[in-house]
Amino acid sequence: MERSQDEADAGSPVASNRSVEIAVYACLLGLAALLGFDNWHTGIGWDPTGPRPGYFPFYLSVILGAASLFGLARELIARTQASDTFVTRQQLARVAQVFFPTLAFCLVTQWLGLYVASFLLVAGFMYFVGRIAAWKCLLTAFLFSAAMFVTFEIAFDVLMPKGPLEALFGR
Amino acid sequence: MEALELLFFGFKVLLTWKILALMMVGLVLGIFVGVLPGLGGPNGVAILLPLTFTMDPTSAIVMLSCIYWGALFGGAITSILFNIPGEAWSVATTFDGYPMAQQGRAAEALTAAFTSSFIGSLVAVLLITFLAPGIASFALRFGSPEFFAVYLLTFCSFVGLGREEKHKTVISMSLGLLLAGVGMDTVSSQLRMTFGWAELYRGINFLVAVIGLFGISEILVTMEERLALRGHAASISLRVVLGVWKDLPRYWVTLLRSSAIGCWLGITPGGAIAASFMGYNLAKRFSKDPESFGKGRIEGVFAPETAAHASGTSALLPMLALGIPGSGTAAILLGGLMVWGLNPGPLLFVDHKDFAWGLIASMYLGNVVGLVMVLSTVPLFASVLRVPFAAIAPMIVVSCAIGAFAIQNAMFDIWLMLLFGVVGYVFKKIGIPLAPFTLALVLGNRAEDAFRLSMIGSGGDLRVFWSNGLVGTITTLALVLLFWPLLARLLGIGRRRDR
Amino acid sequence: MLKLRGMAALAAASSLFVAASAGASWEPTKPVEIVVAAGAGGASDQMARMMQLAVQKNKLMKQPIVVSLKGGASGGEALMYMKSSAGDPNKVLIAYSLIYMLPLSAKIPFDWRELTPVSVVALDEFVLWTNAQLPYKTVKEFTDAAKGANPPFKMGGTGSKREDHVLTVFLEKKTGAKFVYLPFKSGGEAATQLVGNHTQSNVNNPSENLEVWRAGQVRPLCVFDKDRIQYKGKVTDTQSWNDIPTCKEQGVDVQYLMLRAMFLPGKVTPEQTAFYVELFRKVTQTPEYKDYMEKQALKPIFLTGKDMLKFLEEDDALNKGLMTEAGFVAN
Repeated sequence: MERSQDEADAGSPVASNRSVEIAVYACLLGLAALLGFDNWHTGIGWDPTGPRPGYFPFYLSVILGAASLFGLARELIARTQASDTFVTRQQLARVAQVFFPTLAFCLVTQWLGLYVASFLLVAGFMYFVGRIAAWKCLLTAFLFSAAMFVTFEIAFDVLMPKGPLEALFGR
Repeated sequence: MEALELLFFGFKVLLTWKILALMMVGLVLGIFVGVLPGLGGPNGVAILLPLTFTMDPTSAIVMLSCIYWGALFGGAITSILFNIPGEAWSVATTFDGYPMAQQGRAAEALTAAFTSSFIGSLVAVLLITFLAPGIASFALRFGSPEFFAVYLLTFCSFVGLGREEKHKTVISMSLGLLLAGVGMDTVSSQLRMTFGWAELYRGINFLVAVIGLFGISEILVTMEERLALRGHAASISLRVVLGVWKDLPRYWVTLLRSSAIGCWLGITPGGAIAASFMGYNLAKRFSKDPESFGKGRIEGVFAPETAAHASGTSALLPMLALGIPGSGTAAILLGGLMVWGLNPGPLLFVDHKDFAWGLIASMYLGNVVGLVMVLSTVPLFASVLRVPFAAIAPMIVVSCAIGAFAIQNAMFDIWLMLLFGVVGYVFKKIGIPLAPFTLALVLGNRAEDAFRLSMIGSGGDLRVFWSNGLVGTITTLALVLLFWPLLARLLGIGRRRDR
Repeated sequence: MLKLRGMAALAAASSLFVAASAGASWEPTKPVEIVVAAGAGGASDQMARMMQLAVQKNKLMKQPIVVSLKGGASGGEALMYMKSSAGDPNKVLIAYSLIYMLPLSAKIPFDWRELTPVSVVALDEFVLWTNAQLPYKTVKEFTDAAKGANPPFKMGGTGSKREDHVLTVFLEKKTGAKFVYLPFKSGGEAATQLVGNHTQSNVNNPSENLEVWRAGQVRPLCVFDKDRIQYKGKVTDTQSWNDIPTCKEQGVDVQYLMLRAMFLPGKVTPEQTAFYVELFRKVTQTPEYKDYMEKQALKPIFLTGKDMLKFLEEDDALNKGLMTEAGFVAN
């Protein structure tokens, strides 16, 4: 199984480094324009008592924009060069395996609180990605979340986002 | 030799079983909060402050300062094992510490970190013991121009170091500086780059960004490369510890340089944060083999850790002698002292001799006891790496989220962390370096404020940066470092390499 | 002292008993968060820690108190946090003049009327300080020197377009002297910069300059109040707070006092407000509070209910007037 995955990794690139770089530079260019415009509004002049609040950020956005533009131009011109693979299909699938659970974890944290979300994430990830026996996953997840709860909420009075479940216990 | 006498007096106050037991408890708690993300340093000490309310002042401050030492030691652990710096000063430790852990040398890296922390603090404590009054007044010579010169020096020691393409370094640094400016501008009391969005008022917290950039993105990269967090074959024994110690003398220049930088920046109020970066950068700059930094070189752990702890410890000096906290944690300790009716300031050493020297003595004892304790926990922490990746990865994600949230009690920060996780992943893969970005995010705002205050003070005259010997020297040094490659070529120093 | 403490505890315990026997009262079921609109170690932070200590030592409440620092956006973070926590009775803000000034200068969408006022617990004084190495002994000597100075005298203070800055502007208006105002991040920094001779003066609160005054590094010129500070215990070898003349006595009529007040978020029930009114009333009776007031040279005061509202409205109008006159209101 290991071998077949390795072979699959070698092929089917999803994106090349070049295309990702172009996308990133374009995003940065957009960000630089946005921030530059906002700072221009704030005031980019130089008062008798020194620069105004928008002065440094404005010129920084100009620098950021220029550097992004340079990168963009270079990548677009360097057409002939073969580009490295940014990510293959297999790799992307594996990254998604950890990214989407993390995204879901953040969403669940917002509605159900951090401890429930943490239980779901640990148990789910161990079971579906790690293929570990269900009872081990549930036990580990429970112990971990409980330990975090005791440490933060009870011992140190650090308050985390909590949801309906904790409210049942009067927390 | 009066200092020695007073120090012995201090030891006498401390050497009771009760105080020693409190030290142990304080250290364990400190290491614990240091390891928990988002709690290390100021937060951890603040949380544990109420524990000491029912104690007498001496016991309380011994306990508090041991929590402080513990947190300092503990901060290195997550940086090395999981690439999650808990504090601004542990960021530089991740640069080489984490690669070492990946190469199965976690125990070695941890030992190096703890040992160099110990050396750094020891140098700083010696400085406090013998030079306290004189050194403290040195801190008073720092006005805004001097602060700006120090930050400039830190930035300049960084530029031109990386192997990355120049425009990528520029992107990284300017983006960091820009994001550091989001929120309230303190000099004019105006909001900027917030687009009227209340969540952005507080600005982008440096630690939230770092937890995402390093912690979350590392999980993504690790997963992509289908690597488990590899801790195999890390034989943790006295041999590793002794091995690292045997090598120590070879790095005496680095240790000495970092200690000096740390002490200097520590007593400069607000400078402590820059120390570890500068220690790391200078070690790299003056190394014969700068290319090997960032790939798991032990010197890359020694340099920032020594500097960080020398500064963390000497940051207590201006607090005690002048009542100015040199770091966030020192500020909390200051609050603790006030609760006890002790007012740190020039008269503390006169009014409360027993207390002041008791505290200094506790720095020595706390450090020694702390070193032994953390070294004995190395096997425990290194063994965490043997836990299956599928179990440890989600736990790291949860810890990162807790850390990001705890810093400012904001759900928004958890989302920000996730965003920075993705940004970090993409940047890493296309070769945009993250180090300049973090440095800029930490120091950007302070540097800008210092610059603008200097301008207001001088009426817009740039010559203020050469207006006296101190600021002139630092500014010139910064410029020399910036143009070092050029200068070296001009002066013929680099000729050997050209050939 | 011990006896007094015991009695305070007794009084606290008995009043708790009364409250409990009344039956209808509300009590927090979660840890109570004291929200500080400033950084670690600042005056608000110290006050929050004092309250934490007083509540814990005198057992005024079953739930613990947690101090949460929200100094981002010059304290604006804390204001927005309180605003967005409407209906949550477990968060109390330690407010100071920023509740009036920040919405004006930075256009932060906040109005203190959206929160629930609980009580005013203290008033903070402002003092004009100069470096002790400088020869000026009175306000007149100082301002006269400032008038002709080139480069101009530098005045340190906390933040921009806030109480320190306003005081500086009014000092300029009344005396005709010109200052270069340097907005530092904290009063501590302003004190250090004064001692280090990087500035010629500052308008710090007594607590912020206390230690450097005791060490003889700075000299108080006058206090911006209509009466002298009441505390007569010696602070330095020769002087007490009471020995500092008022600015009015010295012919410069500038007055300003800053409130320290507790607020709950909006939309809490009257029972919940009543609990906190009682809690802070008890806090102001503890020896910890009294000790703290004297040490920091704060003016003790306890206002609540209608009195507090009246005070806030007047104070708001006063601050708005000052800010407008100083030209600090953003348009």
